[in-house]
Amino acid sequence: MSVIHSPSAAPSPIVDFADAASCFVIDDLTLDYAGKPALSGLTLRIPRQRVTAFIGPSGCGKSTLLRALNRLHDLNDEAGRQGRIRLEGTDIHGDEVDVAELRRRVGMVFQAPNPFPMSVYDNVAFGLRLQGIKRKRVLDEAVESALASAALWDEVKDRLHGSAWALSGGQQQRLVIARTLAVQPEVLLLDEPASALDPISTLKIEELIRGLKSRLTLVLVTHNMQQAARVSDYTAFLQAGELVEYAATDRLFTNPRLTRTENYITGRMS
Amino acid sequence: MMDTATRLARDMNRGAGRGEGAWPWLAAGGVALSLLMVVALLVLLAGRGLGQFWPASLERVTLDDGRVFAGEPVRQIETCDGHREWLYATANRDLDGQAWRWVEAGRIVSRETPEDLVRLERQRWGPFIGYVRAVQPSANSPLGQPAVESSAWRILQARLVRARALRERLATLRASTLAPLAEELAAAESPRPATLAAFDAAQQQAAKLRDALGGESLVLESADGRRLTVPLESVLDAWRPNAMGPLAKLGLWGQRVWAFLSEGPRAANTDGGVWPAIFGTVLMVILMSLVVTPFGVLAAVYLHEIAYQGRLTRLVRIAVRNLAGVPSIVYGVFGLGVFVYGIGGTLDQWLFSAQLPSPTFGTGGLLWASLTLALLTLPVVIVATEEGLARIPDHQREGALALGATRYETLTRVVLPMALPAMLTGMILAVARAAGEVAPLMLVGVVKLAPRLPLDGDFPFLHLDSKFMHLGYHVFNLGFQSGDIESALPLVYATALLLVTVIVVLNLTAIFLRHHLRARHRVLHR
Amino acid sequence: MDITSDTHSQHISNQFNQELEDLKTHLMAMGGLVEKQIQDAIAALLEGDSRLAERVRDNDTAVNDMQLKIDEECTRVLARRQPAASDLRLVLAVIRATSDLERIGDEANKIARNALSLAESGRSARGFVEVRHISEHVRNMVRDALTAFARFDTELALKVVREDDAVDSEYTSAMRSLVTFMMEDPRSITSILSVMWILRALERIGDHADNLAEYVIYLVKGLDIRHSDVDTLDERDLGSKG
Repeated sequence: MSVIHSPSAAPSPIVDFADAASCFVIDDLTLDYAGKPALSGLTLRIPRQRVTAFIGPSGCGKSTLLRALNRLHDLNDEAGRQGRIRLEGTDIHGDEVDVAELRRRVGMVFQAPNPFPMSVYDNVAFGLRLQGIKRKRVLDEAVESALASAALWDEVKDRLHGSAWALSGGQQQRLVIARTLAVQPEVLLLDEPASALDPISTLKIEELIRGLKSRLTLVLVTHNMQQAARVSDYTAFLQAGELVEYAATDRLFTNPRLTRTENYITGRMS
Repeated sequence: MMDTATRLARDMNRGAGRGEGAWPWLAAGGVALSLLMVVALLVLLAGRGLGQFWPASLERVTLDDGRVFAGEPVRQIETCDGHREWLYATANRDLDGQAWRWVEAGRIVSRETPEDLVRLERQRWGPFIGYVRAVQPSANSPLGQPAVESSAWRILQARLVRARALRERLATLRASTLAPLAEELAAAESPRPATLAAFDAAQQQAAKLRDALGGESLVLESADGRRLTVPLESVLDAWRPNAMGPLAKLGLWGQRVWAFLSEGPRAANTDGGVWPAIFGTVLMVILMSLVVTPFGVLAAVYLHEIAYQGRLTRLVRIAVRNLAGVPSIVYGVFGLGVFVYGIGGTLDQWLFSAQLPSPTFGTGGLLWASLTLALLTLPVVIVATEEGLARIPDHQREGALALGATRYETLTRVVLPMALPAMLTGMILAVARAAGEVAPLMLVGVVKLAPRLPLDGDFPFLHLDSKFMHLGYHVFNLGFQSGDIESALPLVYATALLLVTVIVVLNLTAIFLRHHLRARHRVLHR
Repeated sequence: MDITSDTHSQHISNQFNQELEDLKTHLMAMGGLVEKQIQDAIAALLEGDSRLAERVRDNDTAVNDMQLKIDEECTRVLARRQPAASDLRLVLAVIRATSDLERIGDEANKIARNALSLAESGRSARGFVEVRHISEHVRNMVRDALTAFARFDTELALKVVREDDAVDSEYTSAMRSLVTFMMEDPRSITSILSVMWILRALERIGDHADNLAEYVIYLVKGLDIRHSDVDTLDERDLGSKG
C-alpha cells in the first residue's frame, strides 16, 4: 500500500469566501502603467473584518493592487485598468460612484508617516472638516475618539495644538491612522505602515491593527513576512503581477502549497 | 577681511585630510574671492557715498601770486609731468562760475583752517564757502535792530532754527488744513460759506507764514573778499566745520544723511535728497510683486499639478525657463508697445477721452512699469514655485486624497500651504531682479525728476498713471546726464549704496516672512 | 508542497544553509550512536558480555549530551532565523527527534542494565529467541526511520509506521509465552522478569522509531499523523501537492 501522487486531486491554492463574507470582490483585474502590466488577471476576495496581507517581492504589484482598491491608481495619467472591483457589491468604477466618498470609505495609510504640517488636532479634524463639520464640540469629540482608537490619546492629549511634525515616527504613523479613523472608514488599506519605524513602534502599530479588526476590514501590504505572519488572518502571495497563493496565514507560513511560495517565505532562490 | 577669508578656507578644509590635493584650497579660494569682491563693493560704495556727508574741514588757501580762496580739499593727484595737484571743492558757483578748482601743490603758500569759515547749503546755486558778515533786517522783520557783524553767525543760526520751524508749520498747514478744504470746495457745487471762510483764513495764515520766512537777507563774503547778498529764506543750513568737535560733526553727518534720504532733489538732481526715488523704487517693486506672485503661482500650479505631463507641458516649461534669459530691454520694448501704446492708448480713448490728446495711461507710468517688470520676473516665480511644488512629497497629496479630499481641496488645504515658502522664495528672487532693473523702465515710465510721489492724500491716493523716480535710473542720471560730475559722483555712490540697501531690505523682509511661515509649519506652539 | 533532502540548502543565506545542514548531520550522528547502543546492548545480553553492557551504560551520557547540544542549536536557529514553512518544520522535527532518540538511548541503557544482572546470575534465560527476533525488527525500524529522515523519504517512513503494529503483536505473543515459562518454572521468575523488561524496552524503542517516522512525514508533507490511524490516511492526504 503505497502513497499515490495525484496532482489533479490537489486543492486550489486560492482561498475563497462567500459573497456575504467578502468586503472586496476582485474579478480578473489587470492593471498597467503606460502599457506595462503591473498586475494581470487577478481574482480574489477580501473577507470582511479580517486582516488580509499581501506579500511578495518588490514590483510584484501588491502596492498597485492596494492603490487600486481606493482608486488612487487611477490618478496617474498613464495608468490603465481592466476587470472589476466590487466593494460591498458595488462596482467602484461605476458612473454613480463619487471618488472622494469612496476614498473616505476606504482609508489608506502610507509607508512613510505623512501627517500634514498642521497641529495634531487639525490633522485628525482634516477629514471631518472636508465633510463640512465645523462645530467645535463635534470635532473635539471625534478627534478624541479617533486618537483613542489609535492608542495615541494619552500621549498627545497635552499637545493637541502642537505641530504633528514634532511627534516621533511611530506616533506620527498612529496619528495618520487616527486621522483616517476619524472619518469612519469601512476599510483601512495599509501600505507597509511600519517599514519606516523602529521595532517597538512597529509592535504598537501591529497591536493597533489587530485591535481594529473588530471594526473594519484591513488590507496590509508588507515586505516583512514575519509581520504578515503576526497580524494577518489571510495572506496572499503575489509574484510578477500574479496571485500565486492565497491562504489562511497559519497555513501559508507553515505549509505553503506551492514551491514558489515556499521559496519566497523561507528565503530561497527560485 | 583677509582674515575672514583664511578662516573660511580653514573651515572648509576641516573635512579634508592629507592627500586631498589642492582642490579644497581652490574651492575655498573661489569663495574667498567672491567674498572679497562683495566686501570691496560695499566698502567702496559706503566710503565714497557716505563720506561726502561728512562735514570736512575747510581750508583758506593762499597762493604764491597772492590770490586767496577757500574750499574743501578733495584729493591730490600726480600729473604726467611730475607735478602734484590738489583738487578743492570751492563751491560758490554763482561767484566763480565753477565749484571746483585744481591747484598745483607747489604754488600753495599757506593753508589755514580759520574757525569762522562757513559752509552754507542753499536752495539755488549749490553750497557757499566763505564768511557770514551780516543779517540785514527787512521792514516787516520782528527783529528791527541791525545785526552786528560779530553776532551775525549767532543770529543766522537762530534764524535757521526759526525758518525750519516756519517751513514745518507751513507744510503741516498745507497738508492738514488747506488740502482737505480745497478738495471739499472742488467737490461741492455750491460751497458752504463756513467752508469758504475757513479756507480763506487758512490761506491768509499761510501767506503770513511765507511773509515771516522772507524779507531778511544775508550778507556773505568769499575768502577773496567779494561780497554777496542772498535772501535768508534760500539758506537751508549753515555750519562751521573748523569750529566743530568730532561729536558735533557726527551729529551733523547724521542730519545730512537723513536729509539725503528724506528730501527731494534740488539743483538738477545734483543736490538734495532721493526720497522720491526710494519711494518710487519700493512702490513699483511692491506693485510688481502683487501682480507677479498670483500669476506666477497660478501658472506653476497649472503646470505642475493640473496639466497632463506630456510633451506640450514640457515644451511650455522649457519656454518659461528660456523667458528668464531674454534681455530686459526687450521686455521694455514689449511693455512700451503692448502696455503703453496698445492697452494704455485704448484705455485713454475709452475712459479718458476728455483729456486727449494729452495721454493719461497712453504714456509711461507706474502701472506699466510694474506690469513690465512683473512680466520680466514671471518666469522666476513660476520656476521657484514649481520647484517648491515638486519638493512636496506625493504622499502628502495622497494622504489628503485618501481622506476623501477632492483634488481642489488637496491643492488649497495641503499643497499650497506647504508650497508657501517656495512661493515666497520666488517672490524674493523676483524682487531682487526687479529692484535692480533700469533698462526697461526707461521706456515705460521712469523719469529724471518727479518730486510728486505717486502715493498721496488725493483721491484715488495711488496714482497708477503717474511717472515716478527710480534709484537705479537716478544713478544713471547722476553719472551720465549731469553737468557737474565732481559733485554728482559722490551722490552716484551714495545712491548706488542706497539701491543695494533697498534691495537687501526688501529681500530681508521677504526672507523674514518666509522664515516665519516655515517656523509655523515646523513647530506650531513650542 | 513536498520537499527533498536538498531543499534546505537553497537559501539565499549560506550561513542559514550551513546551520540547517549541521542540524541534520548532528541528528544523524546522534542516531548512529543510538543505533550502536541498541546493537551493543542486545549483543551484551545475548553473549553475556558484561564489559560491553557496562560500556553501553557509560555511553548514555554521550547521547544525553548530544541531545542538549542539538536542542541548543535548534533554539538558536529559531531565535535568529525565525524559520518558516519547511525550515520551521525541519527544526521542529529535529527537536522532537532528539527527544525520541534520547529516550531510545535510555531504553538501550535499561537493556544493558538487565543484561548485566542476567550475566551476573550466570544463567542463560529463556526467551532469548524472542528477544533476538524482536530486537532485529526494532533495530531495522530505527535504521529505516533515520534513513527516511536523512533522505526525506515518506514511503520508507510510512513503512516504519506500519511495521510498528507488527512489533506490537510480536511483543504481545512473546510476553504471553514468557508468562507460560514462569508458571512452568517458578525458579526462573527473576531472570524471566529481566527478559520481560528487555522486551518491553524493545517495544518502546519501536514506538520511538514510529515517532521518528511520523516526524519525517510531518517534515516532508506538513502533515501531523501522530494521532491518526495509518490505514485511514487516504492518498490525498499524502499525495503530492505541488
